[in-house]
Amino acid sequence: MDWKRFGFIALIIIVLFGTVVMIGQVKQPPILIITSMLATTIAVATPLTLGALSGVYCERAGVVNIGIEGMMLTAAFFGWLGAIYMFNVFGRDAGLSIALGVFFAILSGLLMALLHAVLSITFKVDQIIGGTVINILAVGLTGFLNRQLFFGKGSVFGGSVPGSPGVLPTIHIPLTEIFTPICGASASCLQNLIAINRVFDQKPIAISAILLVFFSHYVLFNTRWGLRTRAVGEHPKAADTVGINVVKMRYLNVLIGGMFAGLAGAYFTIESVPSFEPLLTNGRGFISLAAMIFGNWTPIGAWAASLVFGASQALLINMQIFRDVIPPQWSFLQESYIVGLTPYILTMFILTGIIGKTTPPAADGVPYEK
Amino acid sequence: MKKLYFVMALLIVASMILTACGAGAPSAEDCTKEEVFCVGLVTDVGKINDKSFNQSAWEGVQKSQADGVADVVQFIETADAKDYAKNIAQFGDAGYDVIVTVGFGLGEATDAAAATYPNVRFIGVDQFQAETVAGVSGLNFPEDNAGFLVGALAAAMSESHKIGAVCGTDVVPPVWRFGEGYKAGAAYADGMNGTTTEVFVVYHSDVGFDKTFTDPEWGAQTAKSMMDQGADAIFGCGGLTGNGAVTAAAQAGAYGIGVDTDQYLTLPEAAPRMLSSAMKLITPGVADLIAATKDGSIADGNVFGAAGYAPFHDLDSEVPAEVKAMMEEINTGLLDGSIKTNVPPVKP
Repeated sequence: MDWKRFGFIALIIIVLFGTVVMIGQVKQPPILIITSMLATTIAVATPLTLGALSGVYCERAGVVNIGIEGMMLTAAFFGWLGAIYMFNVFGRDAGLSIALGVFFAILSGLLMALLHAVLSITFKVDQIIGGTVINILAVGLTGFLNRQLFFGKGSVFGGSVPGSPGVLPTIHIPLTEIFTPICGASASCLQNLIAINRVFDQKPIAISAILLVFFSHYVLFNTRWGLRTRAVGEHPKAADTVGINVVKMRYLNVLIGGMFAGLAGAYFTIESVPSFEPLLTNGRGFISLAAMIFGNWTPIGAWAASLVFGASQALLINMQIFRDVIPPQWSFLQESYIVGLTPYILTMFILTGIIGKTTPPAADGVPYEK
Repeated sequence: MKKLYFVMALLIVASMILTACGAGAPSAEDCTKEEVFCVGLVTDVGKINDKSFNQSAWEGVQKSQADGVADVVQFIETADAKDYAKNIAQFGDAGYDVIVTVGFGLGEATDAAAATYPNVRFIGVDQFQAETVAGVSGLNFPEDNAGFLVGALAAAMSESHKIGAVCGTDVVPPVWRFGEGYKAGAAYADGMNGTTTEVFVVYHSDVGFDKTFTDPEWGAQTAKSMMDQGADAIFGCGGLTGNGAVTAAAQAGAYGIGVDTDQYLTLPEAAPRMLSSAMKLITPGVADLIAATKDGSIADGNVFGAAGYAPFHDLDSEVPAEVKAMMEEINTGLLDGSIKTNVPPVKP
């Protein structure tokens, strides 16, 4: 464990939260600010975490994947489309349609990853170019189909988007019910409890993202599979000589990465907002890559880095909410574009290496020639 | 290796064809002829089917074709702010008679193109003309009035007395005017009803100009954050970003308020909780200016279109009669000038 890195990340998040609490406490109770910011942080971090995990699997096996953005976008579109088709055309009930939507999203992420694997492993194409092909293809494919199906008079659905089956339900964790007796008759205590409970009431993909972080950590560092994956990413020749099938390991890990990116895509259109807009991933796939590097190619590190990006978005939103109560000596913080620089400044700060160097897998991006 | 090149070439060509189909290249058929009246539209970086701003301008162009004014209509979607001039030039070179450029961002490119193509009439939607440029008519709207109306409505309808607005970047003056108008409207309604409403206005200024309007997920998260802090009415002002905010509000059972067009009709996911929309009547405005170009009555400089608020649709029974009366009163007051929003045209 890289404690220095985690300590630094925790410090950043505490500073970001602390700033908002200090400014906002005249308007809102601190507990409400903190829980609201935590909820935002976790939600924003969900697709970033899954995207970063996708990158970790691919790159640990030695395949650079800058096509995460494209995989997410494709999955967001086909997951949403699948749910709508199931719901409207095949008349399935809403719950089943949503579940199948998630399945289609993961499947389309997998297929895009298969393309990347064929290009970069079988054909040994430059992996950056392979990823770029996926990103361009995703923009064209989803934009084209979206227009053909839903926009304009000649489109399949006659110019309007049919009703979607909705989004995944929130899973309620009954903290309030359990701890109510402790509060007794205190109304403010109960209010706080409800606010805290809201942080834990997350949707299935957000919860599974966190579980998958620890699952991936275990798989990569405590299983034979993980050891082999890391071996083909660090020194494929050595792995080959002891009988590990390098091509197979790389293929499987890229495909697993594609499924993670697919789940991240499902988050946008099946968990967050039940509609598809062209280009809706908006660069989050690339931010995931930054999170992966920042987290030093480890699942838990990548998750922590994603939380930093989430926290800085929570800062941006809340600084504007509390704009009127920002003290005059800090008036520059009233400008949304100054606060908005936070994630970029943090990224540059981190990449200068003051919290220790990040080390990519040694054979990352190098096609394996027998 | 031969096979590899074939696969790569096939993929790259396929992705380019798909992208090109998405962009919709203009056909040059006969537009150079005098008797064929061609209208081209260049979108801002949002998409043509953004369910608000670009889409309503395009519907105005389509309307002019349906009315028999325009013979050929075509649009180009701008994918990147660097392509503004190039996209305008495609229509200019093809001999189009009218080029509609949609959005504040295209202002400079439009003025430059007007000098290159002196025979073309440019209609710049949301492009305030500080100085008159020959060949350019700027179509502007009183966004502050529209924002004022829905701000008053949100404040009157809110039970928690906390309302929010999730907007694109405040670098774009019309967006800023929506946000400021919203605050002013809420304050006005407070004055009438004796309430105190907290207004959260958040702009998406943390990324490049072109991304601030195309980020529904950001809009949704911002709206949720506001609702966590008690807001129960969310105004989404800013293309796809705003759509995300309004949809998230509707999902959570809060009131959603749309922008630019009557978004009850364009956002089915949010429709059941869509309280109203701050409308800019872009579609008739664009169609009128195209007609005026054909009959020669158009002038350079600024033209002002109308703004208003959309019907309550599904929520009509939830809106009390006195709120409806208040809205009518404010609308009349704004139109005859007895109520002023006091929002300057650009951010000071």
